[in-house]
Amino acid sequence: MISVNELHKEFFDKKRGRIQAVNGISFECHPGEIFGVLGPNGAGKTTLLRMLATILQPTSGTASVAGYDILKEPQLVRQNIGYLSGSTALYERLTAREMVTYFGTLYGLSAAETARRIEEIFTELDMHSFADGRCDKLSTGQKQRVSIARSIIHEPPVLFFDEPTNGLDIVTARTITRFIRRCRNQGRTVVFSTHIMSEVEALCERIAIVYQGRLIVVGTLAELREQTGKQAFEDVFLKLIGEEDEEL
Amino acid sequence: MTGNKRTSDAAHPASSRMLAVFIKEFREIFRDRRTVISVVVSPLLITPAMFFFLGAIIHNESKKEGTRVYDIGVIESSASPGLTKAISELPQVSVRYVSRQEAETAIAQRKMTAAVVLTPETDLLAKQFKPVPVELLLDAGDESSQAAASRLSSGLAKIGEHVVATRLSDRGLPAQFASPFSIRQTPIKAGGSMTSLLLATMLPYLLVVSSFGGAIYASFDQVAGEKERGTLETLLVSPATRREIVLGKFAAVAAVCVISSILSVTGVIVSFSLPGSMFTALSTSGGLHLSASAIVVSMLMMLPLAVLFAGLLLAVSTFARNQKEAQTYITPILLLVMVPVMISIFVHSDIPRTMALVPILGTSIIIKQAFSGIYDPVFISLAFGSSILYGLAAVVLATSLFEKESVLIKA
Repeated sequence: MISVNELHKEFFDKKRGRIQAVNGISFECHPGEIFGVLGPNGAGKTTLLRMLATILQPTSGTASVAGYDILKEPQLVRQNIGYLSGSTALYERLTAREMVTYFGTLYGLSAAETARRIEEIFTELDMHSFADGRCDKLSTGQKQRVSIARSIIHEPPVLFFDEPTNGLDIVTARTITRFIRRCRNQGRTVVFSTHIMSEVEALCERIAIVYQGRLIVVGTLAELREQTGKQAFEDVFLKLIGEEDEEL
Repeated sequence: MTGNKRTSDAAHPASSRMLAVFIKEFREIFRDRRTVISVVVSPLLITPAMFFFLGAIIHNESKKEGTRVYDIGVIESSASPGLTKAISELPQVSVRYVSRQEAETAIAQRKMTAAVVLTPETDLLAKQFKPVPVELLLDAGDESSQAAASRLSSGLAKIGEHVVATRLSDRGLPAQFASPFSIRQTPIKAGGSMTSLLLATMLPYLLVVSSFGGAIYASFDQVAGEKERGTLETLLVSPATRREIVLGKFAAVAAVCVISSILSVTGVIVSFSLPGSMFTALSTSGGLHLSASAIVVSMLMMLPLAVLFAGLLLAVSTFARNQKEAQTYITPILLLVMVPVMISIFVHSDIPRTMALVPILGTSIIIKQAFSGIYDPVFISLAFGSSILYGLAAVVLATSLFEKESVLIKA
């Protein structure tokens, strides 16, 4: 469902000069799978996901998402993905219903179809009590649910979650992780990026470790443990990125 | 599960997504208190209230001025008892006889409003029919002093007329001997009134500034505000293309430009028509005449200008990283917009046609002329055509900036 082929992204910064944010990353992920992208802050996770969501143009390389090429058919890629991140906020002056309806229209759903989907999603996520409240008046948890509704209004086969639990309390974070599992169970392809080890351990079928713009390794948790000979996931991770603590 | 792959282009044309962006932005703009206040409340309530208040003050001041008695000094009063007496008999003045030094001190301390300085040779010169120098002392920085001096000037002119009449009658000549003409101004019925002239001068400024100014907050919110609040990324992951998004936003800002200029003109016309407003207090002749064709021409000319302003504002909003930065960029641009309008206030009817090609200036001149009943089709076509080109250039600028990754997304 997603096939990434030698993606590169280079930025130019006045102070720091050329920066290789993503340096030749390739991988594949499949329907019914939660694919974890794990790496410390600044590893290039967000840039990678933004390229796959066609918000950023790769410097070189390409990828196919939901069967469409990110360079040649960016609009069709966006039509078939849901994208949720810490920086995909809501329009404060719209109500929850208006917000989701707006995106339904942008995804090309008819008014009747949008209304039907909203009814479905709002019931499922228990959103009816604040459906007509303005987004700026909602609690963080309610806002997250509106964001979820916004990202799945068009039933996308592929979903990207970029550090979606950043800054959320444990209850709200649970809403998100439960929703991610549900997407996987419905047979969607899910890419989930985070720097939180426990989330990766709990959720992901396969894990890609990204460090300084490069893909260090891809594998299941069991494979990574075997490869490093470590049990605790933190140790596995540190060993893989070469920042292992010296034995005391 | 494979999901439903929609071939979005065929089933949902770009125009429908652009329309969706436009409708959403337009709705959200008018939920922003800043825009509601600057576009709706200020022109429709605050402007008329302000003019009414100013009118009341002007009316009150002129009433006070009519009844006030001014304290004035006469210096060298002994030079001409006759003239001194005549001055002291002028209406609403109270005379004191002082030295020049005393007068200057008193005027500076505002204990006296003005003073008349007579020359010792006053009566001698008068006998020889030579002009008698009369000096008026006043404080140029004090309005009361100026008013007193001008009352003294007209009073002295009246005394002079009396002197002439006496001299003529001494020679057996009629009093009208020295007045060969009797002049009277009659404004023609079909002509414009003073109120209309005032309005014609003000309207271009008002239309241009309100069109640009009213849309400032709305436009800042569109891109810089979205970057700030993190909603831009939400929008960019939708299937709407960047061009559809920026054009939808542009249309919403342009609509605000048009609405803002219409409402501010409405507010001023209401102010002009209110009895007791500043304008009725100021203008001495005629009421307000607004021709329908002048209104149509003005609104038509404002359309390409709205396109230009919306494009410029959106370009600034896109280029800026946040609204505060946008505010910094907009100040010099606002000045640039105001210069041509200011020029239009000072130009008169005979204008070289090349001026039509200067952005904003051409439009301002046409609006001013239209409300004075002047239409030059060549000038109008030149200004309208060039204005459309400038507008399109601004839209292209905003669009190309919006399509630039480095401007839109912080790495």
